[in-house]
Amino acid sequence: MDSRTVAPDERPVPVKIAVIGCGAVVEGLYRRALERLEARGLARVVALIDPNAARTSALARHFRSARGFATPDDAFAATNPGLAIVTSPAAAHAEHTVSALAAGIDVLCEKPMAAHRGDAERMVAAARGSGRVLAIGMTRRMYPCLVEARSLVARSALGDDLRFVYREGHVYDWPVSTSAAFRRATAGGGVLVDLGSHVLDVVAALFGTLEVNAYADDAEATGVDANALIDIATPIATGVVQLSWSQPLLGGLHVMGSAGELILDPPRLDSLMYRSRGGTWEKVACKATWPRDLARRGPRETPRTHRDCIYYQLVQVLRAIVHGEPVPVSGEQGLGIVSAIDSCYERASSLRIPWLTAMEQAEADARHWRARRCVAA
Amino acid sequence: MRGRVAVLGAGGFVGARFLEMAVREREIDVVPVVRALRSAGRSAHLGLDYRLGDASRPESLGRALEGCDVVVDLTKGDPANILRTTESVHAAATATGARLVVHLSSAVVYGTLDSPNVADDAPPVVSLRSAYAREKAAAERFIGAHMKESRVATVVLRPSLIWGPGSPYVLGAATDLLRGSAYLVGGGAGLCTLMHVDNLVQSILAVIRHPAAPSGFYHVGDDEVTTWRDFYFGIAAGIGANAATIHMLPGGDYRPALRDRVRDLQNLGAYEWMKDRVPLETRTAIKRRLARGRDGGLVMVAAGSARPSVTREVWELQRTRFRLPTARFQSEFGRQNSVSFEQGMSASIAWLRYIGATRSDAAPMPLAAAAD
Repeated sequence: MDSRTVAPDERPVPVKIAVIGCGAVVEGLYRRALERLEARGLARVVALIDPNAARTSALARHFRSARGFATPDDAFAATNPGLAIVTSPAAAHAEHTVSALAAGIDVLCEKPMAAHRGDAERMVAAARGSGRVLAIGMTRRMYPCLVEARSLVARSALGDDLRFVYREGHVYDWPVSTSAAFRRATAGGGVLVDLGSHVLDVVAALFGTLEVNAYADDAEATGVDANALIDIATPIATGVVQLSWSQPLLGGLHVMGSAGELILDPPRLDSLMYRSRGGTWEKVACKATWPRDLARRGPRETPRTHRDCIYYQLVQVLRAIVHGEPVPVSGEQGLGIVSAIDSCYERASSLRIPWLTAMEQAEADARHWRARRCVAA
Repeated sequence: MRGRVAVLGAGGFVGARFLEMAVREREIDVVPVVRALRSAGRSAHLGLDYRLGDASRPESLGRALEGCDVVVDLTKGDPANILRTTESVHAAATATGARLVVHLSSAVVYGTLDSPNVADDAPPVVSLRSAYAREKAAAERFIGAHMKESRVATVVLRPSLIWGPGSPYVLGAATDLLRGSAYLVGGGAGLCTLMHVDNLVQSILAVIRHPAAPSGFYHVGDDEVTTWRDFYFGIAAGIGANAATIHMLPGGDYRPALRDRVRDLQNLGAYEWMKDRVPLETRTAIKRRLARGRDGGLVMVAAGSARPSVTREVWELQRTRFRLPTARFQSEFGRQNSVSFEQGMSASIAWLRYIGATRSDAAPMPLAAAAD
C-alpha cells in the first residue's frame, strides 16, 4: 500500500457521497455496496450526477437522500459531499476528479484512472495540492487470493529469477450503455485500458514498478485493441501478459521461480495454487480480511464476491478519509499503471494472430492503427 | 457490389469472423447490427460503426437495415426466438427494399440422417428432439412458405458443425482432452460433418456477390470426409494431450442420463417463462460462473483422470453415417472451400495454443515473432 496518508479530521459520519457518472458501472457494481454503506450508517449518497436525467432518476430510487444533477459543480454546491466517486467515461475522469479535489472533496476514481498519462499526472498534482485523498478503484487489490500471493512473493516462497505468463480474456459482455468504451477518443484504448488496468495492477502489486519492453495489439484503422500482448519487466520478475476481449484465454497468472511456482486466477477470489520446486500442487487457503466498518478495531471479514470487494474498497477509502489510513490504490500507483499503458501504445506493433493466413496477416498489419498513423504523418 | 450489407448477429462466432474477412477483403461495405452494444466489443479492433436493432422486432430492425441491399442473418439466440426473428427479418428486409437475405440455418433440421441423398429442398423433419432443431426447422418452413411470392430473394444455407478458431466444438474437444474426459463412440468411426468457419464465410460472400442469387435452400459443408477419430486425434496431437486417455465407448443406442432429463425440462415452456424473468446480467453471470467451473483447474487435472460427461447430442453426432450433398450450392455459386481439413486443424491448434489450451506451460507467441 502507498504510504500517503491524510491527517485525521473531523469528517462527520455518515460521509456524504456524490456519484459522478451513473452508467452500467454504478448500476452493476457500486449500487449494492453503496446501499450496504447506507444501511450500516457509514455513508449517505446525496448526489447522482449524469447528463442523462433518466439514469439519475432510475438510480435515485435506491437512495432516499439522493438528488439528481446534470453537472458536478451544481451537485457540489447544493450537497457539499465528502467523497466523490468518479465513474464517468474514462476521458472525463481527469476533469471530474480535478474539479472535485479543487472543491475540497476526496475522490475515489474508477479504473482506468485516465485515458492518458498527462491526465493522470494532473489528477495526482491536484490531490497533492488540495491535500485530499485520491484513491483509484482497483478492486482486485481486495481479493484474498492476491493478498496471499503477495505474501508468498514477499517471503520468497518462489525463490528468485521469477518469470510469469498472465492470460486473461473472454468474449466481451459488459452491459455498456454507450459505445464510448470502443473509441480511442473516449476510452483511450480497448482491452488494454479496460481489462489491462486490472491485470497490470495485479502484476505491479506482486512485483513492483512496471517497465514495458514490447507491445503488440490487433487494433485496425479507427478500432481499439481487442487482443493485446505485453512483454514486461519489473524489479523482480519478467513475463508476458496476454489480454483479450474476443477469446476465452485460459490459465490466469502463472509465476515460476527458482524455488516454486504459483497459479492465480484473479477472476476467482480464492483461487491460488502453489507448489515448491519438485513438489505437488496445493490449494492455498485465502482468508485475508478487511475492516467491515469505520470502527478503529472493529470486525474484519473475508470478501466472497467481487461486489463484496467493492464494498470493502469503499470502506477502506472512507477509513482513509476519517482515520487517515492508506487507500488500497493511490493516485500515484494509478499513475504508474496509466504510464505503463501509455508506454504500450507508444510502441504498439501489429499483433501476430497465429491462425491467420500470411495474406490476411499482411492485410491486418497494413490496417494496424499505428501503421496507418505513420502513413498519415 | 451494389449496396451495403447488414450483418445480424454480428457479435457471435460466425458474425465476428464474417466482419473480419469482409473488412479485410475491402470489397463489401458491412453494417454490423447488434441488439446490445456489448456485442460490439468482440470486434472492437475493426473500428466499425454499429447499428442497434432487435432482430425479433421488425420496427426496431427496419431502422437498422435502412440503406442496406443485403441482409445476412447470423442470429442464434434462444430457440424460443428463432422463428419470431426469422419472421421479423423477412418483414424488415421487405419493408426496407433489400434485394437479398442470406439466412443461416443448420443441418440439424434433418435430425439423424439415414441416407446420403437428402435433396437441398427436402423439407425439415417434423419430430425433432431439441428445441433448437425444432425452431430452426420452423424457421425454414416459414421461409419456404413465403419464398415464391416474396420480393426479397432468400438464400438459406445449411452447414453442420461450424469449426475453426473460436469454435465451441474445438474448444470443447480440447478441454475434454486436457481433462481426460474426451470420449469416442464406436471407435470414432462416425462422420464428423464439419464446415470450417472461413469456408462458410466465403460461401456467404459468394452468395452476396452473385448478380442474381436465386432463392432456395442449399446444403453447405467442407469437402473432405472426416471422422470423429480424425477430429479428436488431430486436436490431441496439436495440444500435447495424450490420445490414449480418450474413453472409447461402444456404439449402439444412447441411454438417457440425468442431464437429458434436465435438457428435457429446459425444453418446457415453463422454463422459458422463468428464464425470461431473470435479468440478462444475472443469466450472464451464472453462465460465466458455470463456465469457470468447467474450465477450472485445467492445468491441475491429471490426464485421463476425469470421467466422460456423455450427452445425447454428442453421442448422436458421433454416430453420423451420412453427410448432406453440397453439389447444388457448388453448381450455383461455385466451389468456395479454400480451407482443407489439414489447414483448418492447423489453424485451430494455433488458436488453442494462443488461448492457453495446451498440455504444456507454453507462453504466448513471443513478440519477436510478431515483428517478423
